[in-house]
Amino acid sequence: MESLSFIEHFQIWLRAYLILSLFSFMYKDNRFYKLSEHIFAGLSAGYYVGLIWQTVIIQQLINPIYDDGRWWLILPGILGVLMFARLIPKWSWISRTSLAFYMGSTAGIYLITNLHGFILPQAVSSMVSLNPGNGFGATLLALIIVIGVISTLIYFYFSKEHTGFLGVTARVGIWFIMISFGAHFGYTVMARVSLLIGRVHFLYFDWGESIRQIL
Amino acid sequence: MKTTIPIIVAFLAGALLVVSFFINPDKIFIGDASEVARIWMTIISGFALVLGVVSIVRVNARAVKRKSEGWFYKLMTLLSVFAIAIPGILPITKTSVGGSIFYSIFPESWSPLLGTGANSIYDWLFNYIDAPMMETMFAMLAFYIASAAYRAFRARNAEATLLLLTALLVMLWRVPMGEAFLRLFSDNLPGYINTYVMGGFNVAVQRGIIIGAALGAASMSLRIILGIERTYMGR
Amino acid sequence: MDIWQKLNELDRRWIYFLMFLSILFPTIFVIKFPVELTPEAEQLYNAVEALPDSSVVMLTFDYYASAMAETEPMSIAALRHMWRKNMKIVTLTNIPLGGPTIAERITRQVAKEFGKVYGVDYVNLGYKANYVAVMHGLAGSIESIFPTDYSGTRLSELPLMQKVKTYADIKFLYCVADNATADYWISIVNAQYGLPVGAGVTAVMAPKMYAFVEAGQMTGLLGGMKGAAEYEKLVGAPGSATRGMDAQSMAHFLIIFLVMVGNLGFFLTKKKRKV
Repeated sequence: MESLSFIEHFQIWLRAYLILSLFSFMYKDNRFYKLSEHIFAGLSAGYYVGLIWQTVIIQQLINPIYDDGRWWLILPGILGVLMFARLIPKWSWISRTSLAFYMGSTAGIYLITNLHGFILPQAVSSMVSLNPGNGFGATLLALIIVIGVISTLIYFYFSKEHTGFLGVTARVGIWFIMISFGAHFGYTVMARVSLLIGRVHFLYFDWGESIRQIL
Repeated sequence: MKTTIPIIVAFLAGALLVVSFFINPDKIFIGDASEVARIWMTIISGFALVLGVVSIVRVNARAVKRKSEGWFYKLMTLLSVFAIAIPGILPITKTSVGGSIFYSIFPESWSPLLGTGANSIYDWLFNYIDAPMMETMFAMLAFYIASAAYRAFRARNAEATLLLLTALLVMLWRVPMGEAFLRLFSDNLPGYINTYVMGGFNVAVQRGIIIGAALGAASMSLRIILGIERTYMGR
Repeated sequence: MDIWQKLNELDRRWIYFLMFLSILFPTIFVIKFPVELTPEAEQLYNAVEALPDSSVVMLTFDYYASAMAETEPMSIAALRHMWRKNMKIVTLTNIPLGGPTIAERITRQVAKEFGKVYGVDYVNLGYKANYVAVMHGLAGSIESIFPTDYSGTRLSELPLMQKVKTYADIKFLYCVADNATADYWISIVNAQYGLPVGAGVTAVMAPKMYAFVEAGQMTGLLGGMKGAAEYEKLVGAPGSATRGMDAQSMAHFLIIFLVMVGNLGFFLTKKKRKV
C-alpha cells in the first residue's frame, strides 16, 4: 500500500478514535462516548441545513425566480416558511395550510400507489394455478403461496373473532408467519453482523496500516 | 376558517393527484397542474426537514443557558450544528447568492471550502466524523443481537421453536461456510431453502402483509383527503 | 451454583467480546470459502448485462451511512459493471442525511478507475425532498424536479442530460436502498411507468423484496453483504463484501452456538426446577 500523507493519517486516527469511543459504551457508559454521541447528533442535524439551503432555497427557489423569471415559485416558498409557525404555539394554526397541502398531496399519491402498485400486482401474483404442470415442486410452491397469503390475511383480520373455520385458518397463518419471521430474523442477524464487520475491517485494515506506517 | 381552509386545500391537492393518474397529461391541463403540485411538494417538504433542526437548537440552547445537567455536552451539540451548517450555507462563488458581499470581506481562496460540494468543510465533517459515527452506532446492534440470542431467544413453545429453527437454517444458508455445511446433507438443500422457504413461505406471508398494509395506507390516505383524519393539523 | 446457572448469569460483556473475536479472527486468518450465487443475484446481473452498451441507467443511492457496509459494495460493483459496458449513469438519492455526499464520493472514486468524465458519462442529480413527488415528477420532466445537478450546474449545460429528459430515455433503474424507497421505486416507477427496476437492499429488507421479485415487479435482488459479494463475483471484482464473508460465517456460527447453549441451559434448569 502506498505511503499515507499526514492528513490521511489524521483522518484515519480521527475515525478510529470516534469508533472506539462509541464502542467503549459496550463496556460502560463514559464521557468519551457521551461527547461523541452529542457531536454526532449535532452534525446530523446541521447537515440538513446546508442540504436544504443549497438544494431547495438556492436551486429550486432563488435561482429559478431571479434567473428564469418563474415568480410563481414564491408561493410554495411562502408556504414552506409558514411551516415554521408550528414552533410558536400561539401562531401554530398558520402552518396548517402548508401541512394540509403536504399531507393531502402525499395522500393522493399514496392512495393510487398502494392500490395500483402494491395491492393489485401482489393479489394478481397470488392467483396462481395449483396445477402449473411443472412437476410436484411447482404444485407444492403454488399451494404454499395460495394457502400462505390467504391464511396470513385472515390472521391479521381482527374485526371478527378467530373461531371456527376462521380460527383454523388463522392458526395455519401463524405457522406460516413463524417461518417467514424466522427467515426475517436470520436476515436481520446477518445485517447487524455485516455492519460490525465494516467497522472491524476499518480498524484492522485502515487503522492497522496507518499504525504500521507510523511504526 | 382556521380548520376549513386547510381541509379544502388537502382535498384539492389530494384529489388533483388522484385524478391526474387517470388523465393523459398531454391532452388536458390537469397534467400540468399535477406537475406543478409535485414541484410544490418537493419545495415545501424541504422546509419541513429543517423544522427538526430549529427544535434541536432551541432545546439545547435552553439547556446550555440554564446550565442544566450535561450542559457541556449540549453545548457541543450546538457547536456541531453550527460547525457544519454555516460553511454549508456560505456562498461558493462571487456570483452565488450573497457572494459579492461575502468575497469583498473574505478571501476568494476560501471558496473551495464552502458550500456542500466535494472537499468542502461540510463534506469533510460528514465523511470523516458523522458517517463513521453513524456506521458505528448501528454496528453496536450486532453485540446486542448476540447477547439477545444467548439470553432471550428461547424455544418456549412450538411456534417459537419453528421460528428459531427457520432462523438457524437461514443463518446457515446465507454464509459460504454454512452453505458448504448444508451441502454435506444434500447438494440441493440451499436451493430448496431459497425456493421453498424464501420463495414460498416467506413470499406468501410478506405478500399478505404488503396487501394488508397497503389497504390500511390507502384507507388512511382517503381519510386525509376527505378531511376525516385531521390529527396532522395539531391543536 | 451449577454450570448452567453460572452460564445463565454470564456477564454480557463476555458475549460482546466473543462477538468481536468471531469477526477479528477470520479477518486475520483468511479462509476464503467460495461465494455461491443465488438466482435473484444472477437475474439482476443478467438484466444489466443484457442492456445494450452505452444505455442510460439510473442508479440510486437510497441509503444512510449506517448501512454502508452492506450497500457501498453493491453500489461500487454496480458502477463497475455499468462502466465496463460504457453505460451512461444518472445518479440520485432520496436520503437527506448524507445521501448526496455518499453518491458524490462513490461515483467519483469509481469514475477515476474507468476514466469517466462528469457530465458526459455520469451526472449526480443530488437530492430533492418528498421521494414520491420526485419519482412521479421525473416521469414528466427530470428538469422540473432537478433544475440543476447536486453542485448547482444547470442540466442544460451537461451533455448527458441533453438526451435524458424523462424515464422514457432511461433503460433500467438500479436501486440500492436501505429503506422503503425501494418499495416506491417499484410501485410507482415500475408499476405506473413501466421502467424495469432491480434492487440491492440491506439484509433486513431482503425478505420483503422476494415478494416483488416473485410478482415480476422487480428484476433481480441483492440481499445484504452476501448479495453484494455475489454481485462482486459476477462482475469479477471482489471487494469489501467478499472480504467480509469469512467473518460473516464465523459470526453466524457463534450466534447459532449461543442460541443452542442458551436454550439447552434454559431447558436443563427448567427440568431441574420441575424435579
